[in-house]
Amino acid sequence: MEILVYGTINSVSLALMGLGFAMVYGISRVPNFAHGALYIICGFVTWTLFQKLGLPYGLAIVLSLAANGILGILMYRLVLIRVRGMSISEIISSYAIGLAILEGLRYGGFRGMTYTLPVFMDGMVVIGGVPVDYHRIVMVIIGILLVAGLWLFTHFTKLGLALQGMAQDERAALMLGIDSDFMAMLAMGFGAILAGVAAITILPLGNIVVESGYHVLIMSIAVCIVGGLGSWMGAFFAAFIIGYAQILSVVFLGSHFQMVVALLAIILTLILKPSGLFGQQKELEDRV
Amino acid sequence: MSKENRRKERIDRGIKVRSDGLYALLSWREMAYLIAPRFILIAGLLALPLLMPGLYWQRVISIVCIYAMVAISFDFLAHYVGLVCLGGAFFIGVGGYIAGIFNAYFGMPPLVTIPLAAIAGGGFCTLLLLPCLPLRGVYFAIVTLMYPLFMARIIEAFDLFGGTDGILGIDSFSSAFVEQYFVVGILLVFLFGLRRLVNTDMGLIFTAIMDNDQAVRASGINITHYKALAVFIASAMGCLAGACLTHIYMWSGISQFALDFSILPIAATVIGGAGTLAGPVIGCLILVPISELLRDFGTLRIVFYASILVAFILFRSDGIMAFAKRKYEQIERWTQV
Amino acid sequence: MKRIRSGMCVALLALAGMVLWCGPAAAQKPILLGAPLSSAYLYGWDAERGIRLAVDEINAAGGVAVGDTKRPFAVEVIDTRDLEPGVPVSEALMAVERLILNKGADFIVGGPNRSEAALAAMSLLSKHKKVSIVTSGVLTPKYHKTVEANYDKFKYCFRIHGEAVNLIGEIIANFADLKEKYGLTKVFIMAQDVSHARGAAEVMGKVAGSKGFEVTGTEIYPTGATDFSMGLLKAKSTGAQIINIWMDMPESAILLKQWYDLKIPALPFGSTLAAAEQPGFWDATEGKGEYTLCNVVNAGNAPSEATPWTMKFYNAYTEKWGVEPEGLGASSSYMAVYALKDAIERAGTIDSDKVVTALENIDMMGVYGRLRFDPKTHQVIPATDPKEGAVGSILQWQDGKRVVVYPKSIAMGEILLPPWMNE
Repeated sequence: MEILVYGTINSVSLALMGLGFAMVYGISRVPNFAHGALYIICGFVTWTLFQKLGLPYGLAIVLSLAANGILGILMYRLVLIRVRGMSISEIISSYAIGLAILEGLRYGGFRGMTYTLPVFMDGMVVIGGVPVDYHRIVMVIIGILLVAGLWLFTHFTKLGLALQGMAQDERAALMLGIDSDFMAMLAMGFGAILAGVAAITILPLGNIVVESGYHVLIMSIAVCIVGGLGSWMGAFFAAFIIGYAQILSVVFLGSHFQMVVALLAIILTLILKPSGLFGQQKELEDRV
Repeated sequence: MSKENRRKERIDRGIKVRSDGLYALLSWREMAYLIAPRFILIAGLLALPLLMPGLYWQRVISIVCIYAMVAISFDFLAHYVGLVCLGGAFFIGVGGYIAGIFNAYFGMPPLVTIPLAAIAGGGFCTLLLLPCLPLRGVYFAIVTLMYPLFMARIIEAFDLFGGTDGILGIDSFSSAFVEQYFVVGILLVFLFGLRRLVNTDMGLIFTAIMDNDQAVRASGINITHYKALAVFIASAMGCLAGACLTHIYMWSGISQFALDFSILPIAATVIGGAGTLAGPVIGCLILVPISELLRDFGTLRIVFYASILVAFILFRSDGIMAFAKRKYEQIERWTQV
Repeated sequence: MKRIRSGMCVALLALAGMVLWCGPAAAQKPILLGAPLSSAYLYGWDAERGIRLAVDEINAAGGVAVGDTKRPFAVEVIDTRDLEPGVPVSEALMAVERLILNKGADFIVGGPNRSEAALAAMSLLSKHKKVSIVTSGVLTPKYHKTVEANYDKFKYCFRIHGEAVNLIGEIIANFADLKEKYGLTKVFIMAQDVSHARGAAEVMGKVAGSKGFEVTGTEIYPTGATDFSMGLLKAKSTGAQIINIWMDMPESAILLKQWYDLKIPALPFGSTLAAAEQPGFWDATEGKGEYTLCNVVNAGNAPSEATPWTMKFYNAYTEKWGVEPEGLGASSSYMAVYALKDAIERAGTIDSDKVVTALENIDMMGVYGRLRFDPKTHQVIPATDPKEGAVGSILQWQDGKRVVVYPKSIAMGEILLPPWMNE
């Protein structure tokens, strides 16, 4: 029973992390290696607004998500738009930006373990004999709502359909008058906001440290690869697979295999079914 | 000339045309023109350890050579074979560990462990990368990115080879002179060796695989076999670099799989000039000393270094080598339309 | 002719300039202390602050007497980034080399913070023959064992703070108290997957077992693990009453917060629990960190009256840096500088071999008790009485304050149990 509850919690947190990366890659085919940096900077901005400037928590969250979105859009417009299509350059430039942001934060004084955000709700509840704290439950609810919201958005709104069109076939979308650069910019903004949402929900559980940025990046990549690069539904399901695998390995094998399991999942996926669970890159799977 | 009627024209220099092919033998000037860049590179690299003021900067030169070897292997794989390897640290770590194990547990001297680490490490890495060689696209890149982290975690989880402490008490080179000139020498051998290699038949096949692998397959050549060969060459170089690193610092541990070792060679390649094997060497010669000089600024130097990288990718993505080559071989001038 | 004359003038001027410039400086050339520290991390900056405080105090009092001249100390800190996960140890080694070769450091204080880097640096230090006192972060017993195993090669390496084995001893003593006072006998161990923590967890398991405690489980977490729920639940279901934590990664805050929220009926007894060592911990966890115990390795890092110097140091640090001593390197780094001063003055020179002998013979009362090094292992000699040797400190967070609860000789309070444990 504990495995069920905590497995779900772990999986949803991984899904939250991976959604932003999956969205950006799915729509614009740009691997956003600054994802971890966007996650952490949202956490620190919220902390600054809330603790230093004393704004109410809700307002601080909204403002920092907006700031993250703008940051994502700027990042695309200023840097990534020029290297779009050249995959090595995209990876290197987005990684360099992420590195600059993270190390800049560290230089700017965000060191030590005393930066935290308050949880949404205090207290705990017992579900089926398993004690769970409220914030984690809220996290699961937010995660599910987010995925449901994204699904509805991409299937029923004009903008969402345009984004989905771009994800499916860029040329066809261009022919229909969908501006691919503009859409990619928006996708980057959305991805940044999603990273921010993940940060707001997950960071209150612990503290905000710059190292988590690198960890989040690796986990997001893991989730997206197993789920299939470019499919955010795939990312969601992959998060469940990896999340449960981690919890099961902790219970049955030993907790020091947690990280090995995640990385093993990637390697196995790449060997057995490289395009991932729901991957749409079937042509890449061509064995030569 | 009025502005509307001008255009910029780029033509080869006179001396370049005169030194084309066999005609270079006509005079010393033409031969000098051809030899000069290569001579400066070789002589410069060989003279650097002597010119450096003090032991510390001599150590920096050794580190530059190690990074340069990994950078050359990245450049070779990415631009001559079409495989983007984001995990140079994997090679360094494997080579470093094998050298460390042979030296600490079996007592072999450095001049034996280094070649052994190169070959054994090359074989091991190729074996591990074999499953993703038949795949095209970004997968090789991602797998190589993940492997160093994976290896680090495995060594940590199973507490192999000294676990998180690493292997200590490894022998150093017999003298400082050997230490520096060995690395510089090997670097030059690799650089010019690879340059020769890409002009042979095998090199032709590699480039063909990068451009159009179906055509190669149609010619009846086994692509996986050649890709594996290329990966073996590149990983052997990386492993050798890792073994040298172990012996220079007399230690080997899981931090040899660190992300820094993967990123800096790539950055050096971008800055120095991708596609030309000498470019990465120049990139390393620039990046590593700058990184050391900026050490006084603490973490700000990483920010500088990342910004320079982005600037280069956006504005000078050819790299310095291409720029220098163009200036050396061609002149630009305004002409009337 | 004119050219030669003006050239000679320039050369003479330059020579004169050099003589004048070197002249006054040579009289009080400072003794340079090189500090390779991970400045962006707690165990780096607390050491830096301790060192600078000591250097400022010593210089204000006139400096160090070397023979018949008085020379000031100077500090040069280089950020090694070695506590950062993705950074190779070779960065730390380059920093140490830069300090020795480029900056001309006479002594190395603080040492690389990560055990791995410090061990690797030992060979470098012996190669360049520089005395080094490690003060923060290096907890592995392997350090002093290496000195012992190869004394002639590694005799330049000293460690002035307690190491993992001391910590285990102190914790077990505390457990014995808890057993006596509250009848707690079941222990659950959670450790980080780094060699000193894992090694300590294993030893702890054995020692606790032999002293009549039941170890209901051991969980090892890789660095960067973010989920401890299963471990906490297991601790609860096996009826553990004490959770022994050996983690210095930031994710330990997740563990502690969850412990509080889930109201696990066990006392979180940390060893070097970096998250809980900072005064800002209380606000950061909104009070959920109450009842957490952690070991700050040496007295002086938390308020106590171990020696008259302890609170003097504590208050001076708080006044200079605006925050109370945090982490586990502050008092030991401060003492390292004073110990060097003492050794140099007794040796009458800064020659490394003579200073080594002087350090081996040192016997001074410091911030955390009597300071002496074991001549074979160069490890500071620990004790539970400040008059005998170096004293450690275990503190518990009570009502927003860090209260030292061990050793008895300097305790400022008693260990309290969280209210939900008495149900």
